[in-house]
Amino acid sequence: MLDIRRVYISRWWHKKKSWIFFGILLFLVFVRFSKGSIYKDFYYFISKPFWPGQFQKEVILESLEKESLIKLNLLKKDNIRLRKILYLQESSNSDSISAAVISRKTGSWWRQIILNKGSKDGVEIGSTVIGPGGLLGRVNSTSLFTSSVTLLTSPQSKVGVWLDRVQINGLLVGSGDDYPNLILYSKNADIKVGDFISSSPASTLFPPNIPIGIVQSIHKPIKAKKTAKISLLANPQVIDWVQILKVKI
Amino acid sequence: MINFFTKKISIIFFIFVPIIFLWHPNWLGILGVQPYWPLFWLLPWSMINGSINGLIFGLFLGLILDSLTLDSNFTQIPGLILCGVLFGRIKLHSNIVLNHFRFGLICSFGSFLCGSFYFLQILFKNFSDGTFILFIPSVQNILAEVFLTGFFAPLICSHLFKMFKSSGRKVQQ
Repeated sequence: MLDIRRVYISRWWHKKKSWIFFGILLFLVFVRFSKGSIYKDFYYFISKPFWPGQFQKEVILESLEKESLIKLNLLKKDNIRLRKILYLQESSNSDSISAAVISRKTGSWWRQIILNKGSKDGVEIGSTVIGPGGLLGRVNSTSLFTSSVTLLTSPQSKVGVWLDRVQINGLLVGSGDDYPNLILYSKNADIKVGDFISSSPASTLFPPNIPIGIVQSIHKPIKAKKTAKISLLANPQVIDWVQILKVKI
Repeated sequence: MINFFTKKISIIFFIFVPIIFLWHPNWLGILGVQPYWPLFWLLPWSMINGSINGLIFGLFLGLILDSLTLDSNFTQIPGLILCGVLFGRIKLHSNIVLNHFRFGLICSFGSFLCGSFYFLQILFKNFSDGTFILFIPSVQNILAEVFLTGFFAPLICSHLFKMFKSSGRKVQQ
């Protein structure tokens, strides 16, 4: 008897399309696990002409800026000299990197900014980012040329804060809008509208005493918690330039 | 070269979806919320190429967009896959004006689905931390996104649909 065998020529692995599909899928999985660094670097290059301060009045102000920088350096030196005389620790830190905001997502679910300095410039994951006014957030991922910052308003952000007037620690939780919530685990905490909050000395994420915001409204206490809405001092919607602190906590 | 671009126009637009997602033009938003950009590409693509293609490219888009957002706990993939499959089952109406409105309504519905999926994930993750804090801003976000997506969809989707369809015809010829 002749054994008639069917010859399958159309198995899935014979099809070019299947391999292309797997190739693309593998590539995208790689992109996912590298936290989009390829895309962010690509965006870095195409958005370069539109970065803040490239063309506008920055050109005119450049010379003024140089002058004030020289003055600042002189004052810094003076400050260090006087502090040495008084045996005080140096409070000024030069370990910061200036970066421009090249992408800004300050609405909806994703509250993040992308900066034009990355691992190439020495930015590390976990570095503190401050803007004019105070604390903005924390570097969450870096690519070669860019770094992404989780803002304090992001639902993912949870930060330990310090209320100076009441001398109490609290937790600042992002809620997906522009005003993060302050949670105090004490029902009787005497907080008032207008109270100032800063980063907690007990925090393991941020250096202490960086200004964060002021209490805008206070909710009714629920169970053992007291919550309040915080108005941030540094407004991420309008900030174009930020400082990345390289300080180890 | 021009021929290549005409053939692959849908893929070129696909590459630019995450770029617009990153760009996040504030002047197009309300309350800082943007339209849900990936749906503008996914709707015409799925309508032309069917549910399976919609599912696959929903997955691809979800993978890329998840890599660009920092919330590693939450994903956009389920919403986009579901939208891809649903959009693939929609047929085009003969009336052009009606089509414009349908694009708007379908995209609004898709954005509502994706937003709700995302919100459910956030709720599930933060269940113990007092969910009431998240509820009002999240509903605001979903509604603003639904409105904006529905508002821009007739303008963008109908143009993309025409372009994808004509490039498909040229390939067949």
